Amino acid sequence: MIETPTTPPPASRSPMVKNIIRESGIAIALLLLVLVFSLTTEHFLTTANVTNILTQVTINLILGVGITFVILIGGIDLSVGSVLALCAVVGGTVMNLPGLGVIEAVTFATLASVAVGIACGMLNGLISAYWGLPSFIVTLGMLNIARGAALTVTDARTIYSFPPAFNAFGSQTFFGVPLVFLVALLLVLVSWFVLTRTVFGRILYGIGNNEEAVRLAGHPVFWYKVAAFTIAGAAVGVGAMIYVARLNIASPIIGVGFELNAIAAVIIGGTSLNGGRGSVLGTLLGAFIIGVLANGLVLLGLSDFMRQMITGGVIILAVIVDKYRERLST
Amino acid sequence: MRLSKLLTVSALAVSLAVPAMTGAAFAQDKPVVGLVMKSLANEFFKNMLEGAEAHAAEKGTYELRAVGMQSETDIETQINAVENFITQQVDVIVIAPADSRALIAPLKRAADAGIEVVNIDVELDPQAKTDAGVELAFVGPDNREGARMSGDTLAAELGQGGKVVILEGNPGADNAIQRKLGFDDSIAANGLELVDSRTAHWETEEANSVFTNMLTANPDIQGVMAANDSMALGVVKALEAANRTDIKVVGFDNISAIRPMIQEGKVLATVDQFGSQMAAQAIDKALEVLAGAPPLEGWIKTDLALITADTQN
Amino acid sequence: MSDRHLVKESEAGMPETIASVPSPSGSALKLTQIKKRFGGIIALDGVDLALERGEIHGLVGENGAGKSTLIKTLCGIVHRDSGTMTLGGQPYEPSGPREAKRAGVQVVHQEFNLMPHLTVAENVCFEHLPRQWGVFLDRDEMNARARKALDAVGLSEVPVTANVQSLGIALRQLVEIARALMSDSSILVLDEPTATLTSHEAQRLFQLVHELADKGVAVLLVTHHLNEIMDHCDRITVMRNGVSVETMPIAEASTERLIQSMVGRRLAGELASDHPSFATDKVMLSVRGLVHTSSKNSKGVSLDLHKGEILGIGGLVGAGRTEFLRALFGIESASSGSILRNGRTTPYSKPSEAIKDGIAFVTEDRKDEGLILRMPIAANICLADMRKVSSRGLLSRSRETSLAKKLGAKLALKYGGPQDAVSTLSGGNQQKVVLAKWLSRDPKILILDEPTRGVDVGAKAEIYALLRDFAAEGRGLIVVSSEINELMALCDRILVMANHRITGELKRPEFSEENILRLAYQFGDDSQTGVH
Repeated sequence: MIETPTTPPPASRSPMVKNIIRESGIAIALLLLVLVFSLTTEHFLTTANVTNILTQVTINLILGVGITFVILIGGIDLSVGSVLALCAVVGGTVMNLPGLGVIEAVTFATLASVAVGIACGMLNGLISAYWGLPSFIVTLGMLNIARGAALTVTDARTIYSFPPAFNAFGSQTFFGVPLVFLVALLLVLVSWFVLTRTVFGRILYGIGNNEEAVRLAGHPVFWYKVAAFTIAGAAVGVGAMIYVARLNIASPIIGVGFELNAIAAVIIGGTSLNGGRGSVLGTLLGAFIIGVLANGLVLLGLSDFMRQMITGGVIILAVIVDKYRERLST
Repeated sequence: MRLSKLLTVSALAVSLAVPAMTGAAFAQDKPVVGLVMKSLANEFFKNMLEGAEAHAAEKGTYELRAVGMQSETDIETQINAVENFITQQVDVIVIAPADSRALIAPLKRAADAGIEVVNIDVELDPQAKTDAGVELAFVGPDNREGARMSGDTLAAELGQGGKVVILEGNPGADNAIQRKLGFDDSIAANGLELVDSRTAHWETEEANSVFTNMLTANPDIQGVMAANDSMALGVVKALEAANRTDIKVVGFDNISAIRPMIQEGKVLATVDQFGSQMAAQAIDKALEVLAGAPPLEGWIKTDLALITADTQN
Repeated sequence: MSDRHLVKESEAGMPETIASVPSPSGSALKLTQIKKRFGGIIALDGVDLALERGEIHGLVGENGAGKSTLIKTLCGIVHRDSGTMTLGGQPYEPSGPREAKRAGVQVVHQEFNLMPHLTVAENVCFEHLPRQWGVFLDRDEMNARARKALDAVGLSEVPVTANVQSLGIALRQLVEIARALMSDSSILVLDEPTATLTSHEAQRLFQLVHELADKGVAVLLVTHHLNEIMDHCDRITVMRNGVSVETMPIAEASTERLIQSMVGRRLAGELASDHPSFATDKVMLSVRGLVHTSSKNSKGVSLDLHKGEILGIGGLVGAGRTEFLRALFGIESASSGSILRNGRTTPYSKPSEAIKDGIAFVTEDRKDEGLILRMPIAANICLADMRKVSSRGLLSRSRETSLAKKLGAKLALKYGGPQDAVSTLSGGNQQKVVLAKWLSRDPKILILDEPTRGVDVGAKAEIYALLRDFAAEGRGLIVVSSEINELMALCDRILVMANHRITGELKRPEFSEENILRLAYQFGDDSQTGVH
């Protein structure tokens, strides 16, 4: 630390401006990517392709938004991919229960899926907060539990018949914007509001920065932590139903490795893995950077292996840029 | 896109790969068969295990002990399972190896210990077997031939010069490589044009995204060869989203979810390699050798069948 | 690293052999007109400093005067913009801490640089771990070297194989000094070495410092404790606003003159102890036999706090004062005892219960427990009472800002804007933010643990004035402090703790350093255990 001078420091930037600086760094990177792909490929900037990209980022975005809550309090959730599979197969099973009308079936299935997500998330939170365990380990356990449960529920079989109306929802677009993406966007906006405008959100940021200070200020840190994990779980439940609607299958082996993509979106979006710093808007941009890269590099005709290397490079680059950005904004 | 499947896979491997032992422990009189499977989360291997269990129950002349993995690439658990079977002094090991080279050394130890070892599903690397100085019979389907059959059906529909793309399985996996080769064979023999070939890691969602992007880049695609049916399902959804009914799809494996698609004409063909009977067949062959038949050699091919809307009816 | 070098190390690396400087006097280090700016901020604006061999040279100045930057310049962490440095007559241009150490400049930093999970020996020898066969760690040699180094600083009771983590904070400071002395040094810089030491431990440290100086080492002592300066230094340099204001021999110095020189203005009598008392007879809080779970003493602590009273708790580090406060506030559980306030009799089981009962706790450790440094001042101030700035869970930025401004003004907080991060503030102003946070709840009782730690003289006086205002408003204050002068200046009554119990009570007329220390060293029930 450099000593602060006794002369008053120059008026520092307001948090609003700081946030814009933080977010705009990622946004500029995204715009650059879009520019490069627009110039180098024929189809990138077509309505159909934009629709495709929006569809392709949706699930990662939803999972990423949920994980943002957990990472903001200094935790991590590795279980989202497996929990997604469990939510999907439970939801899928409920939807195929005999004697239900389409609306009931879809409603009950969605409730079941979200309930399963909430249960898994809450369990993650309760266990890690109660015993003070690293959430890395607890959610690694949940990753296996949920996967095993998904296999048990379905006896390792794929569920593949769903009401046509439900599938139509999965592929419906609204002026070129997929309906499922609008759901994700709504989640982003609600989360952004919760994190920046409510007492709840403020305390989550506080916990990520200095848990002890929040505890000594008399707030029930335990329940806030549980809530953060529960929100992540609920997001997974929503994501699972979107998966089922989009792809028309509910299989216990889906979602392997999704957690890493979602965490990557959060980190590229500038949220610190140490907690306390970041935003869901960053996650939105991070998910888009990953989605645009995946899409653009295929359009460019780059090989799978190059694609993987480039994506890895972008993650590391994002963290390096974040280091500089942090200096810039303080 | 999988950022690091490796991490997840190793996480799974560390955690729980509990051998699923079946059968009584002290049935001295009957020969003991150790069955080493791949991931039981995969319907294909689950069917294979159930087929073997049904076979064992039906015949009643041997004791079956089966071990499954958590994931397709969990090599370590397989090696441990083989070593445990050597310790238990089983009579036969039937194995679907997770890696065509890594399992050779432990299997050689098993063979040296007098255990009859039969390789199923994916053939162990012939060169590596020669280098190790071990001869292990392979009972299994010809993935390359199956993929060629599937591809030929697509070629017959499209005719000469048809533009196709391939969705590959996990890079480096032997059945993925063989199926890709089979598709290539078919493309060359029928004069098709290969526009693009990419992996979607056997997965539905990834196949959906990857194929959508391939279609955007190459709107004139006429046919898709998917190295398994899970990926074919993702392709079908992508075609529905893009409103393209003109593009034909073939798959591989004949999983239950693909059957209605074939009925509805959304998928042209798939290939059944009768996985449920593969282990049972291999066990029969090994028991014959125990009973005095000449030792097994080379590749004993199992049945393959092309499944189309016609054959389903 | 060559073998030859290693051999030299193991022979010469001991503190006893530090006196490699032959002549007992003469200029060891000379700085002329050192300047340094960070962006638009001027940190050093012309510093002159000359260290003589064998002298103990005090460096004083308020926080922000540029002392830390100067130390960082000396050890090569910060590179000066202009000015000259010579070491033993040769130009001195350290590119980094490693080179500075090679040149013989050893710095014991204020922040700990120890690795808590390694052993004492590993920490002490970390810079040059002895090797066997070039690769293997020579554990015996390492432990032997560390043993010698620890003995040299009088830490013979500390086992070298213990984990640093298991040592108290005071012992860690001494281990750090032992570590700095492992290498040859002609210059030893001590940055606030006694901040966490009890007076006895500090005494031991200064004894060592004098021995080193006698051997020809030039010691630069940076401290806020002017009594240490007056007791131990040969010459003193005062810094203010990045400039070295004056250097004087000890004979010409006085506490009054130093303070005047540091702050550039005459401090009001805030630091004096003759202020009116606002204490009444009305008891606000009674504690009876409160025993912290980790306490060995089963009798526990009992006290009464009166309305308008400032009650001090003195004692040595480890006397159980902080533990008592934490048990009182419900942060850590009490195994027995009772708290009588507003009709309740049981101890608080969590902080929120104590807060609801009108109690506030300003913790010892601002950075770890009191503040969220990266978050804005307003957010920190509002943290203890979110209801004031929100309705139905929704935050109101304008209410937050106005509350922050109101309390900021009440406490004379010097800040850029309410949305600036707390980390941009000086230590004294950070402490005001902590006070403001609790004031937002209008607490009836304030518990303060080391309220002026790391705060400069000027801010200290302001905080004293604020605390007296709180008492005048009818609040009750419990102040724990290791600075005896602070207790005597602030409090109406002082309780002294030792070994997790209260050993005595002093009223204003009985206040004296001797009385407090006598009670602080009273370990057994009646017997006065000697201290070594």
